[in-house]
Amino acid sequence: MAAAMELSCWGEGWGLPSVHTESLVVLAYAKFSGAKLTIQPVDWTWKTLTGTVPALHCEGHTVTEPAQILNFLRKQRYNADYELSAKQGADTLAYIALLEEKLRPALLHTFWVDTENYTNLTRPWFASRCPFPLNFFIPGRQARVALSLILLTKGESPLHSITEVEAKVYNEAKECLNLLSHRLGTSPYFFGKMPGSLDAFVFGYIAPLLKASLPSGPLKQHLNQLTNLCQFCDAVLKTYFDDDAPGSLPVPFHPSAPSPGSPPVSQDASVDANLQKLTQLVNKESNLIEKMDDNLRSSPQHKPRAPPARPTTLSSQKNSTPA
Amino acid sequence: MSLAAEAFVSQIAASEPWPENATLYQPLRDNQILLSDCASSLAVQAYLRMCDLPLRVCCRANAEHMSPSGKVPFIHVGNQVVSELGPIIQFTKAKGHSLSDVLDDVQRAEMKAYMELMNNMLLTAELYIQWCDETTAAEITRPRYSSPYPWPLKHILAYQKQWEVRRKMSAVGWAEKTLEQVYEDVAQCCQALSQRLGTQMYFFNRQPTELDALVFGHLFTILTTQLTSNELSDKVKTYSNLLTFVHRIEQTYFEGLNQAGQSGAGPWAPPEV
Repeated sequence: MAAAMELSCWGEGWGLPSVHTESLVVLAYAKFSGAKLTIQPVDWTWKTLTGTVPALHCEGHTVTEPAQILNFLRKQRYNADYELSAKQGADTLAYIALLEEKLRPALLHTFWVDTENYTNLTRPWFASRCPFPLNFFIPGRQARVALSLILLTKGESPLHSITEVEAKVYNEAKECLNLLSHRLGTSPYFFGKMPGSLDAFVFGYIAPLLKASLPSGPLKQHLNQLTNLCQFCDAVLKTYFDDDAPGSLPVPFHPSAPSPGSPPVSQDASVDANLQKLTQLVNKESNLIEKMDDNLRSSPQHKPRAPPARPTTLSSQKNSTPA
Repeated sequence: MSLAAEAFVSQIAASEPWPENATLYQPLRDNQILLSDCASSLAVQAYLRMCDLPLRVCCRANAEHMSPSGKVPFIHVGNQVVSELGPIIQFTKAKGHSLSDVLDDVQRAEMKAYMELMNNMLLTAELYIQWCDETTAAEITRPRYSSPYPWPLKHILAYQKQWEVRRKMSAVGWAEKTLEQVYEDVAQCCQALSQRLGTQMYFFNRQPTELDALVFGHLFTILTTQLTSNELSDKVKTYSNLLTFVHRIEQTYFEGLNQAGQSGAGPWAPPEV
């Protein structure tokens, strides 16, 4: 059933196909299951105000919310969970609930409530993607929604102020990340060798945290220590979003997108892909040199240090002091 | 409590053994207690019985307001008061009683994930059905919740609680769901539990854990409570291994006390009007 399916979602940025968690989940699942979606970014349109994002439009129906969209795709025979046993399917549901309950409040807090991150990163990004009068109040509205969600679900009665709730929320998130890391272990994906819906959800939640250059990120630092999750994220990006594989999404090419991680237009596929990989390599090397430079300058004794062994920590991360 | 205070309290907890007069407080069983509160209370009772710790159950009309976090049930042990299943589990662990020590890391991760699934889907669905579905709220929930209070106060308290619950539902995105979607979510959750349980006696190995207590609490309450329609309990009844699981735990941990006829010790939820 190759009916044309359109997905409206927030656009790309920070090296990811979308900066919005739920949109990323749907995009990742579509790639895993081979569904072809045309992407309609809502950036710079009035849909930022009126539309619920992400939303899948197919033959007159509209489906919102990642879980419903995934169900819809499964009914259309795009099923990435085909090979899972019944027990693994049950485990998927349980882990997704764990993510939503423990990790989502902390991510919302990191991006929308933490003042430094919100004023320096999130608000400018979202404001720059909304048309004229909306850029004044859409980011604010999202921040208020995020704060109310955190306070209503986590701010139970003995914890009255946001700072106490923060501590609890971040603790639970770190525990959740540890649990995910234990569960992933050394295998490439959560269930066997092929990714499924749980992988899509984990990718959607973790990738923005990993790739965005957050000024204050205690959770991000914790995530960087869990190398298997970082490698999982990078592997998904590299395998499903960087290569110009046949049947990839025809992403509209923004001439203003500066990041080298954005997927190329599908012409001269192999040349572009190689050029892009070379650019990424050069960027990584130059980041490495910059970081070495920074380390040298900040060290009081100017001791020569060996460059960090893990290339996954090099996404222009400044040394941030814990909040 | 801040985290430092919590650590301090668990240090104090560790120093004393479990006393004989530990008490659990819940709302009045016959007229006041609601489905979700009864489920949580039963889960705590089952957990403490699985740990073999003595417990008395006391019904009080203002249990919700006495509780430190505003949620029932809560236990009064020695000179400490702890509410809700999560903190109670940590509290008993500090005293040296734990059911999940035999699990390895991956199993513990799974157990926590399934407990979150229960809280996320089943508990939220129960709250939705009680407070957001207008028929149930008007016929059962509001009258029961406000039954101990005199006339103007009962309406004020009932509507206040309803407003609070509806606000929380819209924050987590459940306000736009229809009742059918909620029943479907419950069915999905039960299917996941049934598939995880399979033909085993308990969810992990042959020993019960806190997950078994939580599942028992919710499923038993759903099966034995009458609401305006039977659809909720029908969803659970379609899975026979869950039914046998519930019967088994009931017989193992609650049967002896019930036969002795002690009031306040049995798990029977009253049939709703």
